[in-house]
Amino acid sequence: MQRNSPVIERTRGQTLEVNKVLKNTYMLLSATFVFSAIMAAISTMMYMPPMTYLICIGLSFLIMWFVLPKTANSASGLVTVFAITGLMGFGIGPLLNHYLALSNGSQIVGTALGGTGVIFFALSGYALMSKKDFNFMGGFLLVGLMLAIVAMLANLFLEISGLSLAISAIVIMIMSGFILYDTSQMIHRPESSNYMIMTVALFLNIFNIFINLLHLLGFANDD
Amino acid sequence: MDWMKIGSALLLIMMLFVIYPRVKHELKHGRKGSQKEWLGAFALLGGVALFILLLMKSV
Repeated sequence: MQRNSPVIERTRGQTLEVNKVLKNTYMLLSATFVFSAIMAAISTMMYMPPMTYLICIGLSFLIMWFVLPKTANSASGLVTVFAITGLMGFGIGPLLNHYLALSNGSQIVGTALGGTGVIFFALSGYALMSKKDFNFMGGFLLVGLMLAIVAMLANLFLEISGLSLAISAIVIMIMSGFILYDTSQMIHRPESSNYMIMTVALFLNIFNIFINLLHLLGFANDD
Repeated sequence: MDWMKIGSALLLIMMLFVIYPRVKHELKHGRKGSQKEWLGAFALLGGVALFILLLMKSV
């Protein structure tokens, strides 16, 4: 019995750490979504110009790459997380205005929002319930993401609408895979998962699924 | 060429530079999944693809 107790202690300790990371991540994720939605509503009501999207996304990525890694272990990291998600929310205002101007625009935006929610809860819930380790997908997802970025870059100049739709579909698949990957990271490697970084990672997955689903639904509505 | 395109291209190129070291690291040190694990993952992603098709038909 005596020999088993350190193992039990370690397992109990790890479970507590997993629960703490999961709880903190999902709580912060909910708060950032409320804040991001408020920012998106403000941007939509202000009819911001299309350039806003690029500026806000560019700024949020710069903060994500250069500020978040330095602040993620302190309280100021929370300000960074809200700055990133708030900027992203504000950035999609012009995009939402574009879709809302369509005949059944509110249905398209609502469907994209609901669809994104279903995908996130289904995949994250599956990874949580099954406790499967999706860590093996990391290389595949990152290579896929890199190829998708190269395709996006090429399509900026080629302007092929079919390619743009294919990219949107592929990005949704990649981000769905990242939801599985990130959720299982929190379960299986809680010691290396910072909840602020995990929140931003999950927010980015959901944000990308929403934007690309909006694009696909907008196209489907055209015919 | 408009500013939106130049800005988007710059952002995408920066993303490639940021992602590339992680890709290299993951391909070298990442865990390799078994056939069963891959089948399970692709079944889930297939489910997502079907769901999206359903949403596209519904609008």
